[in-house]
Amino acid sequence: MKIEKEPITGNYGKFEIDGVKHRIYWEEAGEGIPLVCLHTAGSDGRQYRALLNDKKILKKYRVIVFDMPWHGKSSPPENSQVGHYKLSTESYISQIMSFIDGLELVKPVVMGCSIGGRIILHLAIHFPEKFKALIGLQSAGHLDPYYDISWLHRQDVHGGEVCGGIAYGLMAPTSPENDKFETMWHYMQGGPGIFKGDLFFYKFDGNIGTEIKKIDNSKCPIFLLTGEYDYSATPEETKSLADTIGIEIVKMKNVGHFPMSENPEEFLKYLHPVLEKIN
Amino acid sequence: MFKSLIEKNERRSQLSIMAQYLNTCFMISTVDDEYLISIEKGNVTNVEEGPFIMPSYIFKLTASKNEWLKFLQSTPQPGSHDIIAMLRRKVLKFEGDLHPLMSHLLYFKLLLASLRPAEGNNEN
Repeated sequence: MKIEKEPITGNYGKFEIDGVKHRIYWEEAGEGIPLVCLHTAGSDGRQYRALLNDKKILKKYRVIVFDMPWHGKSSPPENSQVGHYKLSTESYISQIMSFIDGLELVKPVVMGCSIGGRIILHLAIHFPEKFKALIGLQSAGHLDPYYDISWLHRQDVHGGEVCGGIAYGLMAPTSPENDKFETMWHYMQGGPGIFKGDLFFYKFDGNIGTEIKKIDNSKCPIFLLTGEYDYSATPEETKSLADTIGIEIVKMKNVGHFPMSENPEEFLKYLHPVLEKIN
Repeated sequence: MFKSLIEKNERRSQLSIMAQYLNTCFMISTVDDEYLISIEKGNVTNVEEGPFIMPSYIFKLTASKNEWLKFLQSTPQPGSHDIIAMLRRKVLKFEGDLHPLMSHLLYFKLLLASLRPAEGNNEN
């Protein structure tokens, strides 16, 4: 059987983030408005495989997905050690802005899920003029810990197994099993302590309180979409955030915490109208 | 409610591969009723229904009968579809030595989900 080649191009590139050399992997497809997509904690850019293959989106958008340092095919920075990884708000913002500057993208749209859905709120607060629009998937302003995340990195527990087990439950029972399995598999392939290190941002450092009120939707349009089965960032929490900003939430039925990856077909039904609104 | 975990089927046989080094005994409580479940090499080897006088187990999962019934629907509603989701809603309590549970988290999630009836039949 002849190979059905996908329109995605993979790239490696070197640049500095906060003065430290990094080797980063990214994938892209399409032409037009840059749409930079941010993956979830402990996973990588493969989560956006459906977007990178969606003909309708690729006609109008240049979809670009990078693996964060330590994730997917991106290398850890120089002089790294196992067990020391902790994502801070500052370093997360730096890697996104350095990547955008490094590719010389002008006013991209940035869409992020989970930790990515949180960081777009920080971008909206601090750099609204830099973006054409910001899209938050599974966004919540803050999250109080509801399970002990030390289980995610213990030498007596297989990290891939436990991280996969956590990710599996965050998906909707109605999502296709193959897509759920692949989404979980990405979690099973993460490095030791990386999911936990990302959650330091999600559950502690990146929490936003009253600063949410600084978000001005007229400076940069914000769109928030949340899956009904997500118990990490629930639709109610996204709605509370949306109410503060003064925008509507798009509640997605039959999907959970990883809409673009666990049920791409369903997710794209909700995403297409959002992307059509952005000019 | 959990007695049928002892019944062998294809789904559970597949699951045992995920837990071939797991030997443990845990309790599921519905507050009114208790079930002691023994696992050897990833296979459920015994399910005993209480009441018990001096039950011995490694860890315990407690939720009301109503919450377990919601969990056991063929297509559970958001918040009832996963034991960590129930933990987040504070309707399920984890107690004891959680190492066997957390080191085999997916196995236990799928084992409990194996009690769900086929779609369209929500009797339990």
